[in-house]
Amino acid sequence: MNRLTGKTAVITGGATGIGLAAAKRFIQEGAFVFIYGRRQEALDAAVAELGPKARAITGSVSDEADLDRLYVAVKAERGTLDILFANAGTGSPLKLGEITAAHIDETFETNVKGTIFTVQKALPLMGEGGSIILTGSSAGTTGAPGFTAYSASKAAVRNFARTWAEDLKGTGIRVNVLSPGATATELAKAALGEEGQKSYGAMTPLLRMAEPSEIAAAAVFLASSDSSFMTASELAVDGGLAQL
Amino acid sequence: MNNHSAQKLAGKIAVVTGGSSGIGLATAKRFLEEGAHVVITGRREAELKEAAATLKGNVTTVVGDVSRLEDLDRLFAVVKEKHGHIDVLFANAGAGTVAPLEAATEAHFDQTFDVNVKGTFFTVQKALPLLRDGGSIIVTSSVTNVLGTAGFSAYGASKAAVRNFVRAWTMELKDRQIRVNCISPGPTETGALQKTAGLTADQAKEAAAQYALQIPMGRWGKPEEIAAAVVFLASEESSFITGIDLPVDGGLAQV
Repeated sequence: MNRLTGKTAVITGGATGIGLAAAKRFIQEGAFVFIYGRRQEALDAAVAELGPKARAITGSVSDEADLDRLYVAVKAERGTLDILFANAGTGSPLKLGEITAAHIDETFETNVKGTIFTVQKALPLMGEGGSIILTGSSAGTTGAPGFTAYSASKAAVRNFARTWAEDLKGTGIRVNVLSPGATATELAKAALGEEGQKSYGAMTPLLRMAEPSEIAAAAVFLASSDSSFMTASELAVDGGLAQL
Repeated sequence: MNNHSAQKLAGKIAVVTGGSSGIGLATAKRFLEEGAHVVITGRREAELKEAAATLKGNVTTVVGDVSRLEDLDRLFAVVKEKHGHIDVLFANAGAGTVAPLEAATEAHFDQTFDVNVKGTFFTVQKALPLLRDGGSIIVTSSVTNVLGTAGFSAYGASKAAVRNFVRAWTMELKDRQIRVNCISPGPTETGALQKTAGLTADQAKEAAAQYALQIPMGRWGKPEEIAAAVVFLASEESSFITGIDLPVDGGLAQV
């Protein structure tokens, strides 16, 4: 505990799922957390659960003015930023043969462009000891049927960490990718049903889906000084799914 | 509010091969701080005893060479008698000397593969009867497992071999819920460079500074930084992680 004492963190896509689980763990470890998301209701419920060391800012990662508002709020209340978990993402399946321009645009707008501006606009608040974590996916290195756009967008995100580690050389800011496999978020559980969860789980060597708290534990590792000599890496938290 | 106790390995039994210096010793120290009981091995008795003297907590030393199966049998007999089981196995012992292809001898090749490949294989095999279901195995590989490094062809290939062991063992041990991962340190301040390359202190310092320029973080890692990552893989914090290669390399092999 208390590996993030006194730190300030921003988590995009922070109202539910992996983002919310990470917000809980970051706060348990001593951090002050801004969660960012599009839906006011979900954010309100999350902040009520997270307590006094959480703030919610409403906005979309694909809207630059929204992101500006986020960082103005962080600067006003905390002055600087130590940890950025660029986690907001979207994805739905469309098989090759059925892909539309709108489907590609929507996926890349959030996952690729959204991640770039989330990070770029945070940089003026970050410095020595800072840690940026990008949410990738096991889909970025595997063939997942129907997930052309999503998988390609996550492969793009994995590559950002390589380039940015070089761009950030000398700043003392580290950047790594956290790539979950199938994770039992409320959203995933509802979408997959009991049978779907079982068959997704059966694909991994650990024979189950991840709990969001298990992804959050890995996010704490990357956020904290426990990973002080890691940058540009991809940490797979996928039960072995994409490792064999 | 939560179950994340201050000590991440409280009461766990951990075995660390190659524990008398560098990454192994730093990890033994962190394991002890996290509440584990630790057994360390090393080939040279004087060095091993000296290392143990710097550690505080429940430490046992067993002298032995991982490339000798009878030494491994003795190691695990001691672990069994003292602790009865193993929760965490850090198969870390390794060897490596610099030899360009045209000058490398058979002895150089055999020594590298005997310790790094055969030694790792049998360390894990012989630990299995004592490993608890749900335990964690961590194998030390190296960033050279994916890099082309002049003079390190035998070493790099041996480290690529152990990275692949981890894949197969993940599948073989999944029914016992034993997680298997490897850690790949980049250049680490262990003093090994000076020893293995036969450099003077000044030459080693100069070579290290040159090499640091290639590393995105602009410096070498410290053994404590590798140890922190091993603790992560050993503990419940990595409960959904298996089969991976965790690079702790300042970005060297990532960009």
